[in-house]
Amino acid sequence: MESLYLWPARPAASLLALWLLSQLFCWAARAPVHRAFRSLGRVLAGAFRIIARWCRSVSVSVAKRDREMVLEMGKGDAESKVAREFHRVEVSFSKELGRYPEMHRKMDDLIARLDGDYKECGSSAPTPPGWAEATAAVAKMPANVDNVVKKVLEEIHSSAKSGEKKALQEYREATAKRHKILGGMAPMWKELKQLAGDAGKSVAAAVETTKRIDAHMTTYEQIRKAEDKAVRAMGWQSTQLFVASLLVLGVAIGGAFVNFNLIALPMSELVPAGSRIGGMPVSTVAALVVVLMEVAAGIFAMEMLGITSFFPKLDLLPASRRRIILAVSLGGLLMLACIECSLAILREQLVDSATALKQSLAGIHTKAVADPAASRIPVVGQAVLGFILPWILAMVAVPLETLIATGGHIFLTLTAGILAVVGTVARLLANGARYLVEGLRHLYDIYIVIPLQIERLATGGGQRAGSPVKQGARP
Amino acid sequence: MKKVSLLALPLLLCCSSNKNYAQAVVALVDVSGTYADQKPEVVNVIKTGILPKMQPGDSLFVIRIDDESYKKANLEGGMTLDVRPSKANAQKLAFATQLDQFATKHERSRHTDIRGAMMLGAEYLKETGAGQSTIVVFSDLEEDLPKGVKRTLAPDEFAGMRILAMNVKKLNADNANPSAYRARLASWQQQFKSHGAKEFQVVLAADKLDELLEH
Repeated sequence: MESLYLWPARPAASLLALWLLSQLFCWAARAPVHRAFRSLGRVLAGAFRIIARWCRSVSVSVAKRDREMVLEMGKGDAESKVAREFHRVEVSFSKELGRYPEMHRKMDDLIARLDGDYKECGSSAPTPPGWAEATAAVAKMPANVDNVVKKVLEEIHSSAKSGEKKALQEYREATAKRHKILGGMAPMWKELKQLAGDAGKSVAAAVETTKRIDAHMTTYEQIRKAEDKAVRAMGWQSTQLFVASLLVLGVAIGGAFVNFNLIALPMSELVPAGSRIGGMPVSTVAALVVVLMEVAAGIFAMEMLGITSFFPKLDLLPASRRRIILAVSLGGLLMLACIECSLAILREQLVDSATALKQSLAGIHTKAVADPAASRIPVVGQAVLGFILPWILAMVAVPLETLIATGGHIFLTLTAGILAVVGTVARLLANGARYLVEGLRHLYDIYIVIPLQIERLATGGGQRAGSPVKQGARP
Repeated sequence: MKKVSLLALPLLLCCSSNKNYAQAVVALVDVSGTYADQKPEVVNVIKTGILPKMQPGDSLFVIRIDDESYKKANLEGGMTLDVRPSKANAQKLAFATQLDQFATKHERSRHTDIRGAMMLGAEYLKETGAGQSTIVVFSDLEEDLPKGVKRTLAPDEFAGMRILAMNVKKLNADNANPSAYRARLASWQQQFKSHGAKEFQVVLAADKLDELLEH
């Protein structure tokens, strides 16, 4: 600073002279400086506005792409659901309709038998016409006649009585017979009722399936029309699936880590410990490869079972070949599980050996130290863990497929969101830059306020000739 | 598919490192003068501090420092651990027994040929071709060569090696004048560094040795 002093011995006078010179210079350069500020403001605001516009347009196109992707995914999903329901309907109908002629014949048989039985119930021996009335009339005749007549009448009376008794007996027998026939009809009624119930259930299931198909078709229609509600629902569903599969994958990675640690140490017994790949011991790499092989075998098994569809080419294979691949995958998994099981046992032995060695080197006698690992539980536990973990890892294919399928939507949504935020920030910066530059221009004028006031007085308070901007105008 | 295999093969070959990651350690045990009394303690440090740190593929040699140490007979024991951990553990146990026998031997030499032992140790280390070579010296670092014995170190005698001075016993004169002790250590450091040693460090605690041999 001192090097700028005109008179080093008199700093105050030097500073005053410098200030006066700067005032004069700034007043003279006011117009070009204002123009420079205005240009700077335009450039900065323009640049930020371009960034904001670009971010916005890219964000919109990304969101559009995301929407298209979600719609396509939803369409495919709805189509597969409808196809599955139709397949179910087809299977159900072919099964039920196949049974229908048999059921119909059975019902006809039953109805015919019921009809026959009914008719049989109604048939009974007719009583002789008028005989009963005549007997009753004779029996009612007065008894004050001669002995012969009396005897005859008594005979008629007794025979009428016995006849009535016989008729009553016959009636009872006939009624019992009818009851027996009616009793025989009861199972047929029950069977008929059951057949009708079965038919009713089938019809209800068909109606239920139809309702489901209707619901799927409604969703499908909404997707076809690209309705916002359907897109939002599908987007939310994708996000849920993504989070769920991410959680499951996290758990699976934890399992893989445990699995890896279980076999890394004993693997050094199988592969050379000295050599390394990329700085990692070969035994560690081998353990990692085993874990990855389990995952790969699991992916193929799931693919062949039709649970996932990573490789469309495999879907085209004939069923026999698919079965072969499935058998190979499951066989491989079983082998790897057995290997891991044995490695887990070996690990326990190695750990025991290392502990014993350390104790021996330290001069501690093993018998003097309590041995908590004497029980077989840790060995059995590790062996079981070694056998089970590969099968659990094989299941990772399902969340992995879901994660990949829904990951695109999440990525595009995040990208669109970030771009929108950046665009908004850029717009704010554009406005901020414009007002900042305007503020700087005002500060410049404040600095040279004295020469400006002198000029105003000299020109009679009018606008300075060649003033770059009007009062209050934007830079 | 063939193209992929052809691409993957060189990639795998590039990844597989030719660098030797094995470690080789030479322990020099002074049996001269007053330091001879430290032998059981030194053997204990080797057993508890160095031996457990050895990994499959690593090498360990124990050399005695006496009147004339540049003799094969001064090698008390040596081994390169098998690549299988189970075998390596058995080797370690056998070596520990060997060290116990060495500790029980009563021997005391009149002179101290440190450089001779170091030259012998350096030769063994070079022979192993290990990625990391370390010489651990258990001595008071006061050299006293017999008459007629000459020890001239080659310029690259300790090239790439790390030298750790462990359990350096202070002499009576050192107690009287610690500067002499420090000057002696500085002189050794200068000598080792000038002959290619990567590092020279005085280790006071056995725990520190554990950390230094970690790999």
